[in-house]
Amino acid sequence: MNKNLKWTPFMMLYWREVRRFSRVAVQTLLAPAVNTTLYLLIFGVSIGRAIKMEEGITYLGFLIPGLIMMGCLNNAFSNASSSVAGSKSAGELEDYKSSPLSSQQIIWALSAGGVSRGLLVSVVTMVVGELFYLNQHGEFLPINNVFLLFYFLLVGGFAFGMMGLSAAIWARSFDHLSAVGNFVLLPLIYLGGVFYSIDNLPGFWQKVSLANPLLYLINGVRYAILGVSDVSLGVSVLVTLIMLLVFLSISVWSLARGSFHRW
Amino acid sequence: MTQLDKALEVKGLTKKYGDFYAVNNMSFHVEPGEIFGLLGPNGAGKTTIISNIVTLETPTEGDVLVFGHNVQEEPRKAKSLTGIVPQEIVNHGFFNLEEVLIFHSGYYGLSNNRDRIDFLIDRLGLKEHRHKKVKQLSGGMKRRLLIAKALVHSPKLLLLDEPTAGVDIELRESLWKFVQELRSDGVSVLLTTHYLEEAEELCDRVGIIHHGELRKIGPTNSLVKEFTQRNVSLKLKTAAKVESQFLIEQLQENLRFRIPSEMGLGELLHSAHLSLDDIDDMQIVEGNLEEAFLRVLGESKA
Ligand SMILES: Nc1ncnc2c1ncn2[C@@H]1O[C@H](COP(=O)(O)OP(=O)(O)OP(=O)(O)O)[C@@H](O)[C@H]1O
Ligand SMILES: [Mg+2]
Repeated sequence: MNKNLKWTPFMMLYWREVRRFSRVAVQTLLAPAVNTTLYLLIFGVSIGRAIKMEEGITYLGFLIPGLIMMGCLNNAFSNASSSVAGSKSAGELEDYKSSPLSSQQIIWALSAGGVSRGLLVSVVTMVVGELFYLNQHGEFLPINNVFLLFYFLLVGGFAFGMMGLSAAIWARSFDHLSAVGNFVLLPLIYLGGVFYSIDNLPGFWQKVSLANPLLYLINGVRYAILGVSDVSLGVSVLVTLIMLLVFLSISVWSLARGSFHRW
Repeated sequence: MTQLDKALEVKGLTKKYGDFYAVNNMSFHVEPGEIFGLLGPNGAGKTTIISNIVTLETPTEGDVLVFGHNVQEEPRKAKSLTGIVPQEIVNHGFFNLEEVLIFHSGYYGLSNNRDRIDFLIDRLGLKEHRHKKVKQLSGGMKRRLLIAKALVHSPKLLLLDEPTAGVDIELRESLWKFVQELRSDGVSVLLTTHYLEEAEELCDRVGIIHHGELRKIGPTNSLVKEFTQRNVSLKLKTAAKVESQFLIEQLQENLRFRIPSEMGLGELLHSAHLSLDDIDDMQIVEGNLEEAFLRVLGESKA
């Protein structure tokens, strides 16, 4: 029997998260594969033909990075939030609080669980996207910078895992939580430039879009894959890093002040 | 942790919800190796006290110490030493019983805890259920799992919040036997229960609380002594008029007396001017904890 309060609680909680989402593999992997296929079919292939892009970039190629990031963020958020929500309704969340698990361990383990699922979904999205690209353009879409791709996926995934965790800590019911997803998260993702370049927006809306931190995540991934972006790379790296720190602080505060009690 | 530390010390604990005092300036302690019973009617504040011990709630005022560690200042040290069986059943939708115990061990820092888990599964009669999902277990089985969870890390302080609610007689007995076994291994126990007979048998000391306040605390048998009386029924050989301040009922040759718990039978007979020769049959019913409990609550209402 070896006792280690520094790493074991974190590792075990992380492992629990991975086991949890692998129990629902269909939701985890098949659903995003279907989603991506639909998006690519509708927007990338059929409507996309009519959309003019910069030299050397097709709309399909433009769309794929956005969808990868969107899948990652959505799943990181929903994995962490549904884990906490489920644990709340079962009473399990009280176990976390009455055990020596620290807030930092809970935050990082749950968001790492979200990131793991997010990355899996990213890979699925990427594979589906590449197959479409191959089918349409006769070649694979090359990745400009793998390191940057990982950076943005990880930072975005952790930030959204933390956001999901915090939202579920404050939510009073499952409905409450899904309202956060529908009224806050989804608009931010769609308005973050997954489907269009903000260059196409009127000046006022361009400015508004710049205040959306998701714009920097999505454009960061786009830069990592295509080498083009609506905003400069340095700004994207910085803004997303700040976003991660902000969500980390919010989740620390949420665990200290929010409720571990049952629904 | 030093030799002198109490297993649990609750000092001036107050918990307010809005203007409502769920617990009001409560102080008591649990000695190492002691079984302490926290008794009180529904809503008295028992669960609230336990929640404050494991930091599920933060005290409005006052301190809680587990083996000398303040639970607010050194939560991880205090919680590593504490095991809790919550009042309400916990469901674990996705996992089977064994997985739950493995995860739970992990939360307490134990990565390879197979021996202990096997022992607990065996000891709590969960062997044939170990691969069942938690939601497939019956209510009583789920409660056994709660107990196994509370013990995976061999805590030195065990908090049992109504562990026998909804549990059949057989398990109740085996559970209390297990608790006594744990105590003889040096585990200190704080328990709440509404089965006062069990509390009387098990607890070295009890505290009786009501409306968030401690009404009475002490060794179980002295509380019973202090707050109960002995009921003595006598059947005389021939009906006779008897005069005694302790007499509460007479039906011809059948007499009923209520005497203080420290009063002997000889003294009673003497004071009633009776001798053993007058007596055909007799029965003594000693007071019990339930009676004492009701007396304490009755007095505190007055
Ligand atoms: N979160 C809360 N908000 C407001 N009031 C609460 C809260 N939790 C408990 N209370 C109140 O505090 C009081 C004490 O509750 P507690 O659960 O500690 O009682 P108990 O002694 O455990 O009762 P029981 O025997 O029914 O389990 C009750 O009046 C309860 O309604
Ligand atoms: Mg209770």
